[in-house]
Amino acid sequence: MARWLQGFANAIGGGLFLTLFIVFIVQIAARFGLNKPLPWTDELAVILYIWVILWAAAFVVPQREHVVFDLVWNSAGRRARQAMQIVGNLLIGGLALVGLPASWDYVHFMAREGTPVLEVPLMWVYLPFVLLMAALVVRSAWAIWNAVRGIGLDATELRTQ
Amino acid sequence: MNVAMSALVCVLVAGMLLRMPIGFSMLVSGFAYLLVKGQDLGLVAEQVVNGLYNSYVLLAVPLFVFAANIMNAGTVSERIFDFCRILVGRMRGGLAQVDILVSVIFSGMSGSAIADAAGPGLVTIKQMLKKPEYSRGFAGAVVVASATLGPIIPPSIPMVIYAMVSGASVGALFLGGVVPGFCMAVLMMVVVHFIAVKRNMPREAPVPLREWPTILFRGALPLSMPIVLLGGIYSGAFTPTEAAAVAALHALILASVVYRALTWRSFWGVVMESTRGSAVITLILAGSFMLNYAFTAEGVPQALAQWVDSMQLSQIKFLLLVNVMFLVLGCFLDVSVLLLVFVPMLLPAAKLLGVDLVHFGVLVVLNMMIGLIHPPFGMLLFVTKALTGIPIGEMMKEGWPFLVMLLLLLLAITFFPQIVLWLPQTMGYKTA
Repeated sequence: MARWLQGFANAIGGGLFLTLFIVFIVQIAARFGLNKPLPWTDELAVILYIWVILWAAAFVVPQREHVVFDLVWNSAGRRARQAMQIVGNLLIGGLALVGLPASWDYVHFMAREGTPVLEVPLMWVYLPFVLLMAALVVRSAWAIWNAVRGIGLDATELRTQ
Repeated sequence: MNVAMSALVCVLVAGMLLRMPIGFSMLVSGFAYLLVKGQDLGLVAEQVVNGLYNSYVLLAVPLFVFAANIMNAGTVSERIFDFCRILVGRMRGGLAQVDILVSVIFSGMSGSAIADAAGPGLVTIKQMLKKPEYSRGFAGAVVVASATLGPIIPPSIPMVIYAMVSGASVGALFLGGVVPGFCMAVLMMVVVHFIAVKRNMPREAPVPLREWPTILFRGALPLSMPIVLLGGIYSGAFTPTEAAAVAALHALILASVVYRALTWRSFWGVVMESTRGSAVITLILAGSFMLNYAFTAEGVPQALAQWVDSMQLSQIKFLLLVNVMFLVLGCFLDVSVLLLVFVPMLLPAAKLLGVDLVHFGVLVVLNMMIGLIHPPFGMLLFVTKALTGIPIGEMMKEGWPFLVMLLLLLLAITFFPQIVLWLPQTMGYKTA
């Protein structure tokens, strides 16, 4: 189930990324190939960009690939790490939970405005921010549960990218 | 510092020390700030999504990441490697010289130092480790040093982000990196040459003449990319963002059609890798939108500018101070955080003192590159260690001549803005 969900999230993220790339190619092709600039490509690209970034940050990027400061973590003992993991995730997840309703209010409020060309309600453009906050709450809770069970407390080996 | 600001800084620092992702810590520290201020918490969402929505130039970042990843998956590095072996392989310490030249060419297509180390860097390290004359530390140090060329020689991901932060022209910034980039490459080759002669490092066996045409042809194809890219941007044919898409398309055609080195499976892997990589970079950017909102609301950059003004600093002293700040803070913070949080704070002061924004940008990016190769936050050292297993200590021991060389170059650029500004000005950039 978890693997299926991850595969689904990855497919959406990668699919959005690929679409973003294709939109640019279409834009350039239309201008140089057909000599007819398209009015909607820039706008669609920006919408896709917001979705790709926030969606991937929420559901695709694993914890180990994020930019973190791990000097303290790596020099701490196992019990200290357990405490760090619980306190840190309480902090992040807690604040995300506190900010979630207001974030939704703002995004929902923006339904009344649309993008200039495609007239997509801005609510749909900005929605992934709310998803990211919700994901932060769930992920923090999950990380705390794992920390209590003693999972995921190893030293970070590497950070590529 | 008032209570709201303290709450923000506390959450940020606590999150970081507890090994929470820096981007997430930045975002939620905004909630803490607004809570104490008694303002609407929806401001975080507003700042972040509007920031992303209005920064069209930032779209170049995922596309440049994509281009670099395609090139690495599509054996473009190997072709450039063979090409450079013909050009400089016969010098003493040939493989090290080849590595630097490969980095120069690769930099003309990619704007990321990490991609440079992971792509061409890895290819040459493998070759060097086959020969006993190259120590592990030396091989790693050369690759790490030459990877810093990536964002200096255009195109450049950090320069795109700096352009967004400062409002400077991406085109002028790219041009400004050309001369410093080539200076760096030449100086690195000189350093390698001295070490190679001293240690009697081997020359490469000559490449048989009949293999030359194929190798030169295959290596020359990637060389056409910088010309298309820069030519396109300066002639106004495409925006920097579109140029990034063209770069990705060019790499894709080379890798899949010409070299036939890309399967559907590996292509999807590249797409996913680029999605994740772009999200990681941009998340910190998103967090910085909120932080910079809070800093500006509290008047931090203005206060800093007044403070600099009251100290009667000259331009040079200010720039030297910035360099020192980067070196010190680079020991604690990731360079992307420095670029996104500290540079916006410094910009009003820089403008006040009449520092050219393009000059400042190239200086900042060079400072960032130095931060990438010195511990403890030297991301390039981590990446190279992760890819090759060479211990960071060994790389540091062999790497200091390159570090010293980069610091000297940094000083030269600080004192002589013309090294940066000559080319953009020749091409019509006007200093504000």
